[in-house]
Amino acid sequence: MTSAGVISTSPVPDARAHALIAAFERAGYARVAPAILQPAEPFLDLSGEDIRKRMYLTSDPQGRELCLRPDLTIPVSCDYLASPAAGKPRGFCYLGPVFRHRGESGGEFLQAGIESFGREDTAAADAEMLALGLDATAHYGLAAPAIRMGDVGLFAALVAALDLAPAWKRRLIKDFNHKTSLAHDLDRLTVGGSNARPEYQGVLAALAGADPKGAHALVTDLLSIAGITAVGGRSVSEIADHFLEQAALGAQASLPRQTRAVIEQFLAIAGDPESAATKLHAFARDANIALKSALELFESRIQRLAARGVALPRIHFSTAFGRGLDYYTGFVFELHDPRAQTDGPLVAGGRYDQLLTRLGSARAISAVGFAVWIERLAARSTP
Amino acid sequence: MSAHLVIAVPAKGRLQANAEAFFARAGLELVKPRGARDYRGTIADLAGVEVAYLSAAEIVDLLAQGAVHLGITGEDLVREKVPDAERRVVLVEGLGFGHANVAVAVPQAWIDVHSMADLDDIAIAFRLKHERKMRVATKYVNLTRDFFSRHGVTDYRIVESSGATEAAPAAGTAELIVDITTTGATLAANALKVIDDGVILRSQANLVAARAASWGTAERAIARGVLDRIAAQARARAFREVRTRFARSDGAIITEAKQRFGVETPFGGATSSGMLTLHCPPKHVHELATLLRERGAETVVVADLGYVFSSADSLYAKLEAGLARPR
Repeated sequence: MTSAGVISTSPVPDARAHALIAAFERAGYARVAPAILQPAEPFLDLSGEDIRKRMYLTSDPQGRELCLRPDLTIPVSCDYLASPAAGKPRGFCYLGPVFRHRGESGGEFLQAGIESFGREDTAAADAEMLALGLDATAHYGLAAPAIRMGDVGLFAALVAALDLAPAWKRRLIKDFNHKTSLAHDLDRLTVGGSNARPEYQGVLAALAGADPKGAHALVTDLLSIAGITAVGGRSVSEIADHFLEQAALGAQASLPRQTRAVIEQFLAIAGDPESAATKLHAFARDANIALKSALELFESRIQRLAARGVALPRIHFSTAFGRGLDYYTGFVFELHDPRAQTDGPLVAGGRYDQLLTRLGSARAISAVGFAVWIERLAARSTP
Repeated sequence: MSAHLVIAVPAKGRLQANAEAFFARAGLELVKPRGARDYRGTIADLAGVEVAYLSAAEIVDLLAQGAVHLGITGEDLVREKVPDAERRVVLVEGLGFGHANVAVAVPQAWIDVHSMADLDDIAIAFRLKHERKMRVATKYVNLTRDFFSRHGVTDYRIVESSGATEAAPAAGTAELIVDITTTGATLAANALKVIDDGVILRSQANLVAARAASWGTAERAIARGVLDRIAAQARARAFREVRTRFARSDGAIITEAKQRFGVETPFGGATSSGMLTLHCPPKHVHELATLLRERGAETVVVADLGYVFSSADSLYAKLEAGLARPR
């Protein structure tokens, strides 16, 4: 607790921020304050190397890489996993500084937020996050921010249902997670097979029709005959598998036109959630694609949002909307200033059911949450 | 205190020898008045220049800070160590030595990987199979990150390596590497191969200027003198002087020589007495001499050039333009 007399040059939460975090606590979220100095590894591993240039990195005398926390989702998750409550339904809220290089401007700023772990009522938990996010902007006098919503789970369901080689499926999921809009990226998409050396084409074509087991043995033997031993972390068997996958890809070296058309139709679906649901049903019927469980969850979430009093027509849903991080697995949302005075969202979050597994949890634990950019909200409401 | 232009030169190895030879060719002899082990020197017969002998990596840091005016260092280090290099330094001239490619290399056994697209594909598969990301050993952290990002490769981790990077895959500390390669022999000895479109940068030693250094009138004048000699000598080396005399001078032959051989006319066309001076690239000298004799010249004299000073001092103009760029 800071006393009233402290003179600080660090960003200090104002009364509204304190009121906001008190409201989160009243909603049943226990306030936590994870360490500011964190191991760098989980951030680099989960957010990708691109975050390295925005992180403040240091090392301890043993040479372990540490960082000033660039966000609070990973620290809160790690602390939860290390606690006796791990695996049980728990909700946490936080308010404190995070650190990222931002060019000339200061690298220290405030974030508040919520992380909710282990809840089974997925749709209700999703809806609650958006509702609490709206409360956050309301605390700063913004009752009607622009609401952007997406659902990574719908795209995953689409890709799973498409008749495509595994290499294509992997590529599409990865690219969706790393682009705010995949539609523009489809043009550039080509997969490994098209780049195979011309002198390999004959062998690849011959292998394409072969019995997989025999072909696998052949490639493994060829490598050992050539005296090539595998170095690094990929085994000969892994290399052979992927080599054969390229062979099987053959004619499918670029995305089949019809499949591409289906993906584009899907990604064009947008609007308020209710009309989007209608369009998604029509799409699934026309393209003969089973989206059943993902679509059920989507509709159930809409009902929960309505039940929480969120005005559905104010939500702009888009199938192409993602948050650019590959740990999101379902519902994603952002709240923006309708007058766009600030760069970037005021509130942003979503569902990341695989995060805790990737942080070392032996079993899957559901997780959903959001972060609030305190300075952006404060700057917006200052005349 | 008198004005000082500080030039940073690599302190050891082939790079130092090459840098000294480069200045020597331009008639600029680097001397160490206090003995060969000294790390400070001057240029013989040229006042106001201080030569600082430093490691190539230090040179880049000092150029970025503006603590030295000019320096010789590899473009690879500049691009790696200076974020937003265009704002902080001017790459004045490639020097034709210290060639090295910064490239992505993978184990030869990866017969399924030839391109960055293949690498992207197996990076995703690797993460899904092993539940961790592929590791890339390199000392070029920034170059690697930018290059991989341009190719949409995201499923990897960088392992910083300061020496013997090429041994990392065999040692099991990384799956692949980004490193400099000159002949590829070291890579081959470690059972590695460069990916077809995996060359990140074709680097060579560069003369680099620091934009943040104090560039007063005096420093600029000294730099101009140094660069003028370097440019004049570089130009002299690129040409041979060909002289001859025609009884009847003819503009057509000059046009033809320019078109066929890239010949230049430093003093314009023939004089009233028919004397003609041409500058010709060395490889076309004999063809030019043959042509001139076919057209009536009796004698053609060819000589090496020491310096070719030109009023358009191209190198200094490049420096000035670079320093004047908005930062």
